[in-house]
Amino acid sequence: MLNCSYKAKIISNKKVSRNFFILKLESPSGFKKPVPGQFINVRVNEGTLPFFRRPFSIYRADPFLEILYAIVGKGTEFLSHKKKGEILSILGPLGKGFSLPAKGIRQIVFIAGGVGLGPFLIYADKLKEIKANKVLLYGARAGDLIPPLEDFRKNGFKVCLSTEDGSKGKKGRVNVLFDNIDKEEKQSALYTCGPKPMMKAVKDFAVHYDLPAQGSFEEIMACGIGTCLGCAVQTVAGYQTVCEDGPVFNLSDIVF
Amino acid sequence: MNLQVKIKDAIFDNPVCVASGTWSYEEKYSDAKKIRKLGAIIPKTFTLNRQQGNPPPRVAETASGMINSIGIENEGADYFISDKLPQLKKLRVPIILSISGKTTDEFILLAEKLNSDGEIKGIEINLSCPNLGHKVLVAQDARLTEETVTAVRKVSRHILIAKLSPNVTDITEIAKSAETAGADAVSLVNTFNALAIDIKTRKSKIGNITGGLSGPAIKPAALYMVYKTRQAIRLPIIAMGGIADSADALEFIIAGANMVAVGTASFLNPEAPLEVLSGIEKYMKENKINNISALTGSLKTQ
Ligand SMILES: Cc1cc2nc3c(=O)[nH]c(=O)nc-3n(C[C@H](O)[C@H](O)[C@H](O)COP(=O)(O)OP(=O)(O)OC[C@H]3O[C@@H](n4cnc5c(N)ncnc54)[C@H](O)[C@@H]3O)c2cc1C
Ligand SMILES: Cc1cc2nc3c(=O)[nH]c(=O)nc-3n(C[C@H](O)[C@H](O)[C@H](O)COP(=O)(O)O)c2cc1C
Ligand code: FES
Repeated sequence: MLNCSYKAKIISNKKVSRNFFILKLESPSGFKKPVPGQFINVRVNEGTLPFFRRPFSIYRADPFLEILYAIVGKGTEFLSHKKKGEILSILGPLGKGFSLPAKGIRQIVFIAGGVGLGPFLIYADKLKEIKANKVLLYGARAGDLIPPLEDFRKNGFKVCLSTEDGSKGKKGRVNVLFDNIDKEEKQSALYTCGPKPMMKAVKDFAVHYDLPAQGSFEEIMACGIGTCLGCAVQTVAGYQTVCEDGPVFNLSDIVF
Repeated sequence: MNLQVKIKDAIFDNPVCVASGTWSYEEKYSDAKKIRKLGAIIPKTFTLNRQQGNPPPRVAETASGMINSIGIENEGADYFISDKLPQLKKLRVPIILSISGKTTDEFILLAEKLNSDGEIKGIEINLSCPNLGHKVLVAQDARLTEETVTAVRKVSRHILIAKLSPNVTDITEIAKSAETAGADAVSLVNTFNALAIDIKTRKSKIGNITGGLSGPAIKPAALYMVYKTRQAIRLPIIAMGGIADSADALEFIIAGANMVAVGTASFLNPEAPLEVLSGIEKYMKENKINNISALTGSLKTQ
């Protein structure tokens, strides 16, 4: 009955680093071409455990529909047990994605922490043809928690890493990498996804240097399609839904 | 096979509805033909004035269910009537509008605003609302329920359905007040008062601390209330509470419901309302039941 409801067949569901999995789905026929930043809402198990579907950013859409996920609780645990050939009920592509950088932007910066890498590979693919200086700043807790990043390099991104324990890249949170952002020219566009304090740090930086910045936000979702009004986030214009008005918002619009 | 249901002089092709607050507006539903199969849709409650809703988080999942505290976020009656309602009407499916007020006067104003509409099939009065100057919700007090329904009855030309809360000592008392006050039907149940705590933070999982439980978890309790209410009043009953498939719906019908509504289950399975309908048809065919009315209240107690 919904125009975004599909059954998708699992092509593969593989562990790609100590904590990350990539789930590859056959893109169901009729599934709309997603905008980077859009997500799918996945029923990870039949029955009522867990009760809600689980939202995941679309990591890649072509030739397969892919999500990058980490096991953080029972829902993602269930998902990790799904096998090739099984069929998943998904809703998507959902929400509003990133807006392309304005003309004249010379540097495009992705700033991601942990599973916040989720929306960025599809975006890197999309920006392939755009000539700009492209940088991915990625922060993890430890070196072995970093997912494979070659595909970003292949798309022309310079990859800068930080780890909290210093085992790889610069020691500290991802903000220790902010000196890679070309702040003087005011010609950088920032895109971020990750823990809220990280996105707050990006917002403060962007406001300080007057740079355009967007972030992909998370809230617990019951429906994922704008029906229940359950995933409200406080914005300067009042409450908005993460699933329909977002998940991507201008950072300056969010009340942290 | 006849699945028709009557509430006063309104005829519904079948008994399957979608419950208030769990169903969206038309642009997300691809296939209007499919939606037209539904008995009726009951859109989210709207209020006289805009309400911003409750602080997040507004939803939490629980065992076989969920807690919500949305706070009836809506843009107010005028916006609903001018912007949302015309969209809904395009679906050409019977519409029952859900309204709620902070005072009896607000209910009266809302009912008056809807009097010029000749297309809607009825009004559901969401009585799970605080009443200024009283500690309880209207739906928790037989006298307030009677007062509110009487007031709306006086001004409204529409079929009136009183939506009852399960958070009461005896729901049949409230149902009787609604009947006395001139309601044409009752719908039950709304959500059960509930709480879920994150033990790591020792905070409630809901921003507003408490909320309402819905989904399969509440079904047996809701079914009990429908059964009891059936014995207490003569009005048609629209039943809801955890209905996820046709077997659930049939239980409610056998217990005495004239219509059923699918709520929370649609979040897991968007096809649930249609599956409920086709499952009821299949059951009737298999059991050689020609008229749904033969099933309603057919519970065998011997
Ligand atoms: C738009 C959006 C895109 C997302 N993209 C990705 C992605 O690409 N990859 C990825 O690994 N994860 C992503 N997430 C987060 C992912 O949905 C949660 O990790 C997942 O729902 C946790 O389920 P669980 O049952 O394993 O954990 P639970 O046991 O339910 O919870 C574990 C932790 O995750 C939090 N959580 C639970 N549900 C959600 C939710 N709906 N949104 C945010 N946090 C939640 C809980 O508060 C808790 O702290 C995204 C979330 C949103 C809203
Ligand atoms: C997210 C959500 C929002 C709801 N909003 C309303 C509402 O605005 N008005 C109303 O009368 N009931 C509302 N309800 C209650 C449902 O209509 C229904 O009575 C209740 O959820 C029990 O049915 P269910 O278990 O099938 O969901 C809401 C329920 C949920 C889960
Ligand atoms: S999850 Fe229901 S409105 Fe966003």
